[in-house]
Amino acid sequence: MRRSPGFALAIPAWVWLALFFVAPVGMVVWFSFGYKPGIFGTHANDVLSLDRYAEALSPTFFSTFQNTLWVGIAGTTLCLLIGMPVAYWMAVKVRPERRGILIALVLVPFWTNFLVRTIGWQVLLAPEGWVSTLLQAVGVTQGPLEILYTRTAVLIGVVYNYLPLMILPLFVAFDRVGGPLREASKDLGAGRWTTFFRVTLPLAGPGVVAGVLLVFIPLMGDYITATVLGGAKGNMVGQLVASQFQAAQNWALGSAMAVLLILVITATIAVGAAIVWLILLPIRRRNRLVLGDAPPPSDPPAAAERELQGVGA
Amino acid sequence: MSESRTHVRILASDGAARVIRSELTRRGFLGLAVAAGGAAVLAACSPGGGASPGAQATGGAVEDSLTIYTWGDYDAPELLEEFTSSVGPTITLDSFSSNEELISKLVAAKGTSGYDIVVPTGVFIPQMIENGLLSKLNLDLIPNIEHMDDAYLGRAWDPSNEYSICKAWGTTGFVYDKTVITRELTTWADFLDAAQNEASGKTSVLDDPGDLTGIYFWANGIDWNTDDEAELAACEEYLVTSLAPHLSAFDSYPGGSAIPQGTQVLMQSWNGDARLGILESPDPDRWQWVLGGPDTEIWMDNWAIAAGAPHPEAAHAFINFILAPENALVELDYIGYHTGAKDIEQAAADEGLPMLDFVFFTPEQVETMHEGEVNEAQERRVEIWNATKAAAGA
Amino acid sequence: MTLRQTEKPTVRRAGHSWSDVALTVWGVLVFIFLFAPIAVIIVSSFNSGRLLVAWDGFSIAPFLAIVAKPAVQSAVLVSIQTGLIAAVFATLLGTLAGIAMARHPGKWVYWFLGLLLLVSVTPEIVDAVALLPWLVFLGQDLGLTMFGNGIVRLVVGHSLFAIAVVSYIVRARLVGMDAQLEEASGDLYAKPLTTFRRVTLPLAMPAVLAGFLLSFTLSLDNTVIAAFVQVSGTTPWPVYVFSALRSGLRPEIAAVSTLMLLLTLVALAAVALVLKRAGDSATQIARTLGGG
Repeated sequence: MRRSPGFALAIPAWVWLALFFVAPVGMVVWFSFGYKPGIFGTHANDVLSLDRYAEALSPTFFSTFQNTLWVGIAGTTLCLLIGMPVAYWMAVKVRPERRGILIALVLVPFWTNFLVRTIGWQVLLAPEGWVSTLLQAVGVTQGPLEILYTRTAVLIGVVYNYLPLMILPLFVAFDRVGGPLREASKDLGAGRWTTFFRVTLPLAGPGVVAGVLLVFIPLMGDYITATVLGGAKGNMVGQLVASQFQAAQNWALGSAMAVLLILVITATIAVGAAIVWLILLPIRRRNRLVLGDAPPPSDPPAAAERELQGVGA
Repeated sequence: MSESRTHVRILASDGAARVIRSELTRRGFLGLAVAAGGAAVLAACSPGGGASPGAQATGGAVEDSLTIYTWGDYDAPELLEEFTSSVGPTITLDSFSSNEELISKLVAAKGTSGYDIVVPTGVFIPQMIENGLLSKLNLDLIPNIEHMDDAYLGRAWDPSNEYSICKAWGTTGFVYDKTVITRELTTWADFLDAAQNEASGKTSVLDDPGDLTGIYFWANGIDWNTDDEAELAACEEYLVTSLAPHLSAFDSYPGGSAIPQGTQVLMQSWNGDARLGILESPDPDRWQWVLGGPDTEIWMDNWAIAAGAPHPEAAHAFINFILAPENALVELDYIGYHTGAKDIEQAAADEGLPMLDFVFFTPEQVETMHEGEVNEAQERRVEIWNATKAAAGA
Repeated sequence: MTLRQTEKPTVRRAGHSWSDVALTVWGVLVFIFLFAPIAVIIVSSFNSGRLLVAWDGFSIAPFLAIVAKPAVQSAVLVSIQTGLIAAVFATLLGTLAGIAMARHPGKWVYWFLGLLLLVSVTPEIVDAVALLPWLVFLGQDLGLTMFGNGIVRLVVGHSLFAIAVVSYIVRARLVGMDAQLEEASGDLYAKPLTTFRRVTLPLAMPAVLAGFLLSFTLSLDNTVIAAFVQVSGTTPWPVYVFSALRSGLRPEIAAVSTLMLLLTLVALAAVALVLKRAGDSATQIARTLGGG
C-alpha cells in the first residue's frame, strides 16, 4: 500500500497549466458574460448577462456545428482505421532496428509548415495536377479530377494532418503489449485475429483512447485545412469563433461561442464514451477472469485502474 | 553637490557651436535634463489610451535600427537593403496576417510594442487613432510626399494625412473563365447571374464580410456601408438563399491558387491578386478580369507610425525614402499594386511591366471606387457572412 | 529490460503469411500518402516562377532568394529555437505528470485529466487572445521582465497543448504495465529516486521520446497563438508564411521548407550517430526507441 505523494510529480505541470492556461481561459469565460461596448471596443464587463449565450445559439451555429461534428467523427474514424494497421505493423512486424527510423519518418512530413503542405495537397489534387493526370491515364476517372472543394477533400486534408497524432500513441500502446503475451496466446491455440482482438487490442486500450482523443478534440476546433482544401464545404465552428475575435471584434460573443464549443465537445465525448462503455460491456463480462471464490474487495485505486484498462475511458 | 571643475568638451560644427554655447549653461543643462526626465516619466506613466501623441520626430539624428510590422513579403528586399546601406538603420521586419491582430497587439502592449512603422489598412485607422495607437507624422520630415498623387491622399479615414500615408491601394473585381462563360460579363449583377448559372458550384468569393455583402449592395445600387436594417436583411436573404448554394469557396487569394490551377470558373478577387494569377497561369488567355461595376471598393494599406515608437527619426526617414519616385516603381514591380505615386504609369510602361491595366485605372473608374467603413453595421455584416458560409457548406 | 522481452527467434519463418504482406503493403502505402505533398513541395522549391503553385522551369533561384531576405532567415531560426526549448520543457513536465497519473492514481487524476481535456478542447484563437493580455500583465504590470522576451512567450504558448499530449502518451504507456518491476526494485533496496531513474523512466522512454518529437512538431506548426504573443524581432516561421499568403506565396517558401526538412533530418542522424558512438549498438538504440 503505497502512500508516497507521487502525485507531487505532476505539480510542475499543474502549476504551469494553472498559470498559463486556467488563468487566461478563465478570463475568456469572464468575457463571455460581458458585451461589446460600441463599434471600436472589443469587450466590456461592467454589465454581466447571459445574452451572449443566447446570441450564440443561433441557427448558423447549429448548422455549422453539425458539419463540424460530421467532419470530426468521420475524420477520427478514418484516422483510426488507417493508422491502426500502420501502428501495429511498426510495433510488431517491423524489425526492432528499423522502428526508430519509422517513428521519425512518420513525423518528418510534419516538419514542413502546415499551410505549405496543405498547398502541396492542393497542387496534387488540382484538376490539371499529378493525381488527376495519373488517374485519367490509368482510366479510373473520365474527366479532370473534381475532388477539390468537396467533402472528400476536407477528409483527406484532415486525416493527413492528424494521422501522426493517432499513429504515435497507438504505436506506443501496441509496443507495450509485448511479444511474450502474443506468443503465449498463440501457444494456447488462438489464431491471428483472435489474438489481436482478445489480447493485443484490449491491452492497447488506453493508447487507442489517447489517439482518438488527441485527434478528435483538436480537430473539432480546427478549421484551416478544411477551408483550404474543402472550400465552403469545410465550414467549421472554429471559424465562427475566430470570426468574432477578428472580423467582428466582438470578444464577448466570441468567448460565449468558444465556451459553448468546449461544452458541446465535452458532451460529445461523454456520449461517445458512454456508447463505447455500453458496447464493451458484454465483452468485458466475458473476459473477466474469475479464479475460485469471488475476488476480495480491492482498494479503490486498483479497481479504478482495472476499470480504466477494460474500457479505456 | 560638490563642484568639480572638470570641463565638458563638445565637438560641434560652427553653427551648432554658437547655438550650444548660447543655450547650454550648467543650470540650463540640468533644467533640460530634469524636464526631459520628467517628460519621460510622465510618458511612461500615461495610460496610453485616448490621447493622440504628438509627432515625436524632430529631424534629429537617425537611430541605428528600425522595426516594421507589416504584411508578409510586402516590400522589395533590394529597397530594404538600400535603405540600410544609404541611410543607416538596420531593419527588423515582423509579420501579421490580419488588421485585427495588429490592433490587438498594439492595444495589449499599451505603447511598448517596440514597433516603429505599422501598415494598417485604411478602414481600421479611425479606430486606431481613437484608441491612441498611432502617433502623428511630422510631414516636414517626409518631403517626398509631394510625389504622391492627390487622389490617394486625404482619404476618408485620415483627411489631412496626419497619421498615415498611402503605401499601396487596390480594388475589387472578378475573374472568369472565358471557355466556360462565353458571354461577356461587366457588372456585379452579371457576376451574380453567372454564379447561379454557368459557374454554379465553381464560384468563389472573397473571404471578407464587407466584400461579400458588397456584391449585393453594389449590384443593387446601395451604399455598401449602409446600416439600414431592412437593406441588410434583404442582403442576407439574397446571399443565403440565392447565392450560397452555388458557392464552392471563400477564397481571398485566388491569384495564388485557384487561377493558376484552374479550379474555379468565376472568382471575386482583388486586382493585383488577379494580375498575379493570370500572369503565372499556364493559359493566361483563358481568363478575363472585370473591374466590378457600377460601383466597387477602394482599399488602401498605409504607412503609419505606432504610438511609443522607439525610433521615430528612422521611421520618418524610411517613409520618406520609400516614397521617392524611383523606389515607388521598384515597390510597384515587386508587390503588383499601385503605390499611389504621381505619374508612375508612364514610368511603369517604360519599364515594360506587364498587364498594367490591372494596376492603373482612369479617373472615371477611380470615381466608382468607394472606401469601406468599420461602423455599426460591421457586426451585422459578419453575421451575414457566417450565415452565408453555413448555407454554402450544407 | 531483458526480463520483459525475449530475443526474437533468429530462425526465419519459411514464407510470410498473407497478413504480414498485407500489413507491409499498407504501411508502405500510408508512408507514400504521408510524403506525397512533401515531394510536391521539394519539387516546387526548384521552381523558377513567381508563384509556388505555378511551375515555370527549373532553377535554384528560390534558394538564393532566401539569402536576400533576413526576415525569412530570422523566422526560421526563431521557430527552430522555440521548437527545441518548448519540446524539452513540455516533455519534462508532461512525463512527470504522465508517470504520476499512471503510478499514483487517485481522485486527483480525474481533475487533472479534465484540465488536460480542457486544454485540448479550447480553440487556439481563444488561447491566443487570452494569453496575450495575460503575458503583458505579467511582464509589465508585475514587472517579471522575462515575459517580455519573445522566445519565452512563444515557449509558453507552444507548451500548453504539448504538455497535454505528452502526458496522455506517457500515461497510456505506463498504465496497466505492471508496477511489479518498480516493486521489485524497491525490494532490492533501491531508493524511490533510483527506482524512478533506473526503472520507471526507461520503461516510459519510448513514450517520452515519441512525446518529445511530437511536441517539437506541434511547436513548429503553432500559428495562431504564436501570432498573438510574439514580440518585435521574434516572428516565427508559420506566422511569416500565413502573412505572406496575401502577396502570393513564392517558391522560396518551399525552398525554406526543404531546407528545414534537411536540417532536422541531419540533426536526427547526428543524434543517432552520437548515441551509437557513446557505446550503444544500433539495435539497443532502436530498442530503446522502439520499446525494448
